[in-house]
Amino acid sequence: MSLLPTRRDWTLAGRDLTRGFAAWNIWFLLGVSDIRQRYKRSRFGQFWITLSMGIFIGGIGVVYSALFNQPVAQYIPHVAVNMTVWTLISGVVGDAANVFTQSAMYMRQDALPKTIFIMRLIIRNIVVFAHNVVIVPLAFIIFGIIPTPLVFAAIPGLIIVILALFLITLILGVLSTRFRDLAQITQNALQLLFFITPIMWRSDQLSAGRQIIVVLNPFASLLQLVADPLLGIEPQPHTYIASFTFIAFLLVLALPLFARFRARLVYWL
Amino acid sequence: MTYIHLDHASVEIPIYNSRGRSLKAALLRQVGGAVEANSRDVVTVKALQDISLRLEPGARLALIGHNGAGKSTLLRVFAGAYEPTSGHAEIHGSISSLLDMTMGMDAELTGAENIILRGAFVGMSLKEAQNRVDEIADFSELGPYLHLPLRTYSSGMTLRLAFAISTTRAPDILLLDELISVGDAAFALKAQMRIQKLIDKAGILVLASHDIKTLKRYCDTAIMLQSGRIVAQGTIDEVLERYASP
Repeated sequence: MSLLPTRRDWTLAGRDLTRGFAAWNIWFLLGVSDIRQRYKRSRFGQFWITLSMGIFIGGIGVVYSALFNQPVAQYIPHVAVNMTVWTLISGVVGDAANVFTQSAMYMRQDALPKTIFIMRLIIRNIVVFAHNVVIVPLAFIIFGIIPTPLVFAAIPGLIIVILALFLITLILGVLSTRFRDLAQITQNALQLLFFITPIMWRSDQLSAGRQIIVVLNPFASLLQLVADPLLGIEPQPHTYIASFTFIAFLLVLALPLFARFRARLVYWL
Repeated sequence: MTYIHLDHASVEIPIYNSRGRSLKAALLRQVGGAVEANSRDVVTVKALQDISLRLEPGARLALIGHNGAGKSTLLRVFAGAYEPTSGHAEIHGSISSLLDMTMGMDAELTGAENIILRGAFVGMSLKEAQNRVDEIADFSELGPYLHLPLRTYSSGMTLRLAFAISTTRAPDILLLDELISVGDAAFALKAQMRIQKLIDKAGILVLASHDIKTLKRYCDTAIMLQSGRIVAQGTIDEVLERYASP
């Protein structure tokens, strides 16, 4: 069994991607109804997403600002922005391992492009993000922070992050459908990443020698791409370079993997 | 252009036990050499073997065979859900597989919302589905239930709705696993008329059934499957005769 995709594999994988993106009505409806289903019949409905995040940020903000000796008025907006963006990243990565197993009943019946299920997962997490991001202006108003025009730089940042997340989902989805341990491994890796990524802390709190942890961590770069402009910090060129290098690496891994094993996925479910 | 061409198509489904799925086991196998015999971890089910067949417009094919002979697997290959693990399958034309009509429906959503959602799966655009809500609601006779969540429906009502949505559009290729009967006598008649209309319009019909009367009524050719292989192929009468003789 060759590990290299054939020409036909490439054609079919390309068709899967284009047709999958085009079937936006399916993935959009599925993604949105995932959220609706989760919060149906609860009093606050999907605003529990916002509420939970608010409670978390408020609690953590007060405790950690004391621990880190930071003024609350500075620390809470910082955590609010970082946590909102990180929740998008960790939400997608955490779900990625189950992206295909969760859609088994569709894949066994129908010739739907596999891309649909990846986009469903992305949309689902973007909806959550949209609910969480409300906290950011709220925190800014409460603590009197006036946003700079730099905030608009967060939009291209967000698009780059979503592109990376799409590729990560593709890779983790294919591999973990075959190797089920990967779901557990990802969960643990995410927990570790949460601590080594500057979410609760700022990278300038590290000594110069330890800055390398942040520079070498692609998830830190992705986070900063969106979070920094929102906080009024101009994203560093190296953040963009690191993110694009990471995406290039993901592309090289994801595309052949998907082309080769796309048709096998249904047999692994 | 509607056709189904299978060229030496086989489907092998690997059954992994928990060890076979483990990343550690796979890595150790690579690193440590063949300590574990592959066969201990992975059992392969040969669901279809070496199927070659060409269906052109006008084909009315019956799939005959005992349980586990591969009829459903072959229908899934025709539907495009299973791509052959060796050999080739070329399938052209819009496909409607009424294998699972409720696929994609959501118990928490209302009937009307489910029409939009399930409609997307059967190839309707958002606009088309919206335009057809009334027509579908009418056919399924849901009345005021249309705006209640699906979970409040009886199983018969759910099936009526699913049937109404799934059969709204006439496909080029119609795949049926047993002829569907939905609802009470009055509705069953209505449903049968609609199925008949779909069958008449379909370029290719594939019907898997154990009911000889149904098969004879709708199909003119047949293949008989046994352990995933075609063991008989020809006109419906020839193959049924072979099926009946031990």
